[in-house]
Amino acid sequence: MQRNESLWVEKYRPKKKEDIMGNEEAKELFVEWLKNKRHTKKAVLLYGPPGVGKTALVNAVANEFNYNVIEMNASDTRSEKAINLLAKPATSYTALDNFTKTKETKGNVLFLDEVDGIAGNEDRGGVNAIIKIVEKSLVPVIMAANNPEIDKLRPLKKVCLLIRFQQVRIPLVIALLQKICITENIKAEFEALERIAQNSRGDVRSAINDLQSLSEENHILTIQDTIILNSRNKDISMDDTLRGFFSAQSIAEASNLLRYSNVDYDEFILTVSDNLPKRYSNNEELSCAYDYVSQADVFRGRVGFENWHLLKYFYNSLAQAAAVNPNSYKPFTFITPPIKIITLFWTKSKRTILGNICNKIGVKCHVSQDKAKSEFVPFIKSMLDKKKAHPILAWFNFTAEEVNFLNEMKRF
Amino acid sequence: MIVLNKNAFKLPRVEKEKFVNLLRLGLEYNRDKNVYLIKSYNNIEKLMDTISSILGVEVVFLQNCIRCGKDFPCKECNYKDLCATKNLPFSCVCPQCLRNMKPKQDTLVDF
Amino acid sequence: MGINEEPLMWVEKYRPKNLDEVIGLHDIVESLKAFMRNPKTMPHLMLTGVPGTGKTTIALAIAHELYGKNWRNFTLELNASDERGIDTVRDRIKDFSRYSRSGFGDIPFALIILDESDQMTGPAQTALRRIMEIGSRTSRFILICNQSSKIIEPIQSRCAIFRFSRVDRQAMKEHLQEIAKKEKVELQPEAAERIVEYSEGDLRHAINALQTAAAYKEGVVDEKTVSLVIGEASPIQVQKMIRKALYGDFMESRKTMYEIMGSYGFSGSEIIRQIQRELFKMSDITPEQKADLSNIIGEYDYRLTQGANSDIQLSALLAQFAKYGKDIEENYAAK
Repeated sequence: MQRNESLWVEKYRPKKKEDIMGNEEAKELFVEWLKNKRHTKKAVLLYGPPGVGKTALVNAVANEFNYNVIEMNASDTRSEKAINLLAKPATSYTALDNFTKTKETKGNVLFLDEVDGIAGNEDRGGVNAIIKIVEKSLVPVIMAANNPEIDKLRPLKKVCLLIRFQQVRIPLVIALLQKICITENIKAEFEALERIAQNSRGDVRSAINDLQSLSEENHILTIQDTIILNSRNKDISMDDTLRGFFSAQSIAEASNLLRYSNVDYDEFILTVSDNLPKRYSNNEELSCAYDYVSQADVFRGRVGFENWHLLKYFYNSLAQAAAVNPNSYKPFTFITPPIKIITLFWTKSKRTILGNICNKIGVKCHVSQDKAKSEFVPFIKSMLDKKKAHPILAWFNFTAEEVNFLNEMKRF
Repeated sequence: MIVLNKNAFKLPRVEKEKFVNLLRLGLEYNRDKNVYLIKSYNNIEKLMDTISSILGVEVVFLQNCIRCGKDFPCKECNYKDLCATKNLPFSCVCPQCLRNMKPKQDTLVDF
Repeated sequence: MGINEEPLMWVEKYRPKNLDEVIGLHDIVESLKAFMRNPKTMPHLMLTGVPGTGKTTIALAIAHELYGKNWRNFTLELNASDERGIDTVRDRIKDFSRYSRSGFGDIPFALIILDESDQMTGPAQTALRRIMEIGSRTSRFILICNQSSKIIEPIQSRCAIFRFSRVDRQAMKEHLQEIAKKEKVELQPEAAERIVEYSEGDLRHAINALQTAAAYKEGVVDEKTVSLVIGEASPIQVQKMIRKALYGDFMESRKTMYEIMGSYGFSGSEIIRQIQRELFKMSDITPEQKADLSNIIGEYDYRLTQGANSDIQLSALLAQFAKYGKDIEENYAAK
């Protein structure tokens, strides 16, 4: 990706509700609710798949109507204590003075994003605390969730108006991508934009990210360029998870994502590890993130096949790796772990053959197999390269299979 | 198959229980004009299924194009098989406007 | 293909067969000869020092000196890093002792050479000490190691310790020229210089490099060939990997890591061991820095033993090196 000036999802973040594509009805309902001071329900719960405009709507409307949004992200700290600490000030008149309240702002709204991130024990009384806050609140409470069918959220449904968001339709996504192309001066084939939109499954955020990572200056974006999206389609949830993981804005967001995703942990952490330097180009951040990934890896090892209760430490560490510096995120295309290729090559049988070779060298030259591997094999290989039937092969008594192996040893 | 107008469509008289259910699923009933309109879209799929079973036929809604303002049916669209909201009454972009790369000036929003 | 067939690896072909053939190491040889004069008084021996300085050669020469032509019948050669544990060591020694009780002329014992004995854990060494005690009527041990400090005190006190130091540059050059002459190869002075520089006092490394370079071009070993050859050796690759990380180029460093893993088939712990080894050798890193980096390596080595993925742990290790390198840079700048 050549265009490094800024993140397009930031640049094209909706400033007015009209900027948000799709979900017209939801937008109307929300505005209606916000404007109605005497609404029966003090809180609203916006729910639907990621990247369709829930958070965008809250901010755009607040911007338009001059509300101050006090945000609290799910799972950052969900205990009753923590919620009260932050949210209480927003719910009493006197405390309202402490917030930036200029002549222009009409007031505050409390925004609780990702409420479905309330997990079991860690969030002792989280749900109940939220209900209490809604009840006591003097300002509108807005909540957002990806998946409101979770049992824990049932109590919440009683006190909020539910507004559903749908996947943004493909033609709408295409239309948005077209607009961005015009503004960014990118030439793109219609079919390419089509493909990006189809792949996004109605997640506008990821469509914009994909467009940014695939487009280059002075290059016409063709459908060929989007092939890479194709190969990712085979395992959609892995890719969604990876993308969401790397672009996560907080530990909570990353942690949430990992919990709800169905990906294979082992493959996931390997892919994360391989792509980490693409995410963090700053060595300080990279080393910090890698240390977390390394810890997560150790935890995964401890989980083994039975200690699943230890998995939460795995998630915690990985989530921390994602959120080392949310601001430094720029979209990138994922690389396939080279380690997979290497592991495929170094099968058990190959390792056995190499072991036998080293054993023979060790005996003849009075060294350990370790030294044979590191000090002798590379040199023998070099000599072999120069002379295929070098007499040392016979001296070592290598079998045909072993000779073949040495000849085929590649430089990677 | 029958095409309904999301803002005003008629249904045959139904028993009280079914009527209450329709309202719960998101319909509003205008007594004066004797028409229904869709108030909430939260349960739109279930709603459509219920209406379908009442009318005994497949129910579809038209889509409204945000560019040209015209209504058009989903069957004209290339992406209907991939669409999560097919035949549901939401806004969209019609195939003609989509192909036209340069959108109309007044629909271009400022970024 | 008999035992008398000429060895084709030069490290073997030109290995001194008996104590008289050994060049340099004069004091060690003289002491040992004194022991040989009355074998019954010969104690267990410990030969310690950096690799490639003649320890194995001396041990084998002793065997030859004691038992003559058929020394192999009365000598057991073990490598602690190859054996799975002290039990296999014990079993192999037991089997061997049983066989060698049938007598071996004037020498009242058999010889057990245990290489890389400092790789054994503390408990394993304690068990070894017992084995040495029980078997001391019928066998003598020659323990070979790089760091005598890693051998437990009870064993050290039962051995006569001989310390080997790096082969000095001049001596090494002479060795190499001697071999080159016998192999009818012209070893150019700059090439010899390069080999000596690369091997850092390890004669085995040097001879292997020479032989490989000679295989590249008929009859002549020049500097260019030597550079080519040693560039592909894994110690160099490992040093390259370390340097790139310290200079902040993580991606290149990791790429080298993948090349090493892919080309040589090293496991994660093998690479970590090599990193430790090569780090120790690198002269452009200060001892304090080596200590810091060593601690980092230790941490990730430990994590590896906890059942983690080697490439994740190695990548994380390289990332820490990259950060460390940046800190050094900043400290320099601050000064």
